[in-house]
Amino acid sequence: MDSEILKIHEAYRKGSLNCSGLIASRIGELEKSNHNSVNYMLSDLAMEMAAEADDRIKSGKELRPLEGIPFGIKDVYMLQGTSSSGSSGILKNYKAPYTATAIVKLLDAGAIPVARENCDCFGHGSSNENSYFGPARNALDKNLVPGGSSGGSAVNVARGFTTFSIGGDTGGSIRQPSGYNKVYGLKPTYGRISRFGLMAYASSTDCVGPISRSLEDIRLLINIMSGKDSRDQTTFKSDAIPDEIFRNDPDLKKIRIGYYRNFIESDNLDENIRNDFIRLIGILKEQGNAVEELEFYDDTILVSAYYVLAMAETASNLARLDGSVYGERVAGESIRDQYALTRSENLTEETRKRIVGGNQVLAHGYAEDIYQKARYLRKMITDSFNRDFRNVGIILSPVTPNTPPLLGSSLKNPMVMYLSDAYTVGFSLGGLPALTAPLGTDTGVQITAEKNGEERILKFAKYLKEIL
Amino acid sequence: MPLELLSNIRGAGPSPDVGKLFDIIKDALPGNDSADQEVISGDICVHLESLRDDEVIESSSVEKEIIKENFPERKNDYLVVSRVIEEV
Repeated sequence: MDSEILKIHEAYRKGSLNCSGLIASRIGELEKSNHNSVNYMLSDLAMEMAAEADDRIKSGKELRPLEGIPFGIKDVYMLQGTSSSGSSGILKNYKAPYTATAIVKLLDAGAIPVARENCDCFGHGSSNENSYFGPARNALDKNLVPGGSSGGSAVNVARGFTTFSIGGDTGGSIRQPSGYNKVYGLKPTYGRISRFGLMAYASSTDCVGPISRSLEDIRLLINIMSGKDSRDQTTFKSDAIPDEIFRNDPDLKKIRIGYYRNFIESDNLDENIRNDFIRLIGILKEQGNAVEELEFYDDTILVSAYYVLAMAETASNLARLDGSVYGERVAGESIRDQYALTRSENLTEETRKRIVGGNQVLAHGYAEDIYQKARYLRKMITDSFNRDFRNVGIILSPVTPNTPPLLGSSLKNPMVMYLSDAYTVGFSLGGLPALTAPLGTDTGVQITAEKNGEERILKFAKYLKEIL
Repeated sequence: MPLELLSNIRGAGPSPDVGKLFDIIKDALPGNDSADQEVISGDICVHLESLRDDEVIESSSVEKEIIKENFPERKNDYLVVSRVIEEV
């Protein structure tokens, strides 16, 4: 049995583990940790919920799907009554008035939130160094970045502090830190899980997704969180993914696999990752899978198109942070002064840079020359995916061009940080589901399918795990 | 309008790193043809007929209390807003 959730449930049923003991132990580990992966502990709430779960277990009632399972929440989700900062200074004292739809579903299934996790401020970063709370540290080597923006979430899962964590992925923010910390992380199809209650970064690519050490748990979590929500009108109804998908299926050898030749030939790709990826493709061919080389856009074009669109959207989304009705306020002579002082003093340098860049591309003169071109490129990228998925069932790629950098080095060279998203942003622009599996290369492999193809991705990941 | 005013951020100006990203886009599509292209994708848009009707949802008392608690400044039970100076 691969599922950690089901293992915990078995122990609860046998009486060899009680929920209060498990939650207390996870809280203790988080408090002792020096990975700086947490912004706010939720200890009181978690212990109260654990006592209720123990009562339920003792009474012999049927366990809910996530009964008594400790989880972490990236600090960009609303959870009523808890501090919800988005890892920013401007919202450091802000309390969420309501709870995000995805989190409500997890709570209704019995899961217990233990911590609000460190991340890049409003998702603006790929190293978790752009945080009001300071950088989180990689789970495997504290001198390295954990990746971002969902860095704290990936670290907590990798260290075993949480059984799963809920990250957010706009251009790779679940997949890249999952790769850097060697865990599974899924960005679902855009619209499969409601974004209601997620602090918006770039609304047209923002996705809610799980990070876990177990593939089976990713399936359970996706099933629980998915569904149409009237409060996010981009959501759609999807079918539950059955557990039988993990049984041996000889047809997996018949899946035609594609990979982007230019990704593998890119000068930006680390030599070891390149060699490991080529080896992985060789193993699949030996298994009988047909493999096709595909052509795609240059990685710098993908990164640029993504950042232009994401900055334009974040400039609009974060215009609300002006100190008027919530958040820190710096008073000025006039309301315009208040806006400028509040934002100048309370937003981080990277966040200010993205807001200014966003307003720049939306301004007269730039909109036609840059923003519209980026939108057009997005359409061409989507058309390219549609063509590719007529020929192949799965597209594989490295998750990242390089292994995690040393803490501090990304801040010195932001272009290198932007390029660390080179292999993830394209799939975000296409709204496709993509999974990081900690297999094949040092930062894992990214498995992508057409829209709503999560079932095929999970099946294929299990197959890869078995043959590697 | 200057970027400083558009962004409500003092001293805001173009960033060289972001400028590099813009140059890559310009070079990727050198002509202006794409500016007039239809780029709205059905994949990321919600069709008008799919939109739900407007609905007023009453906030719970807990939610109302937290919203007031979040207000940046209070004095004698009043929520204090910044002074508005009308500019001609």
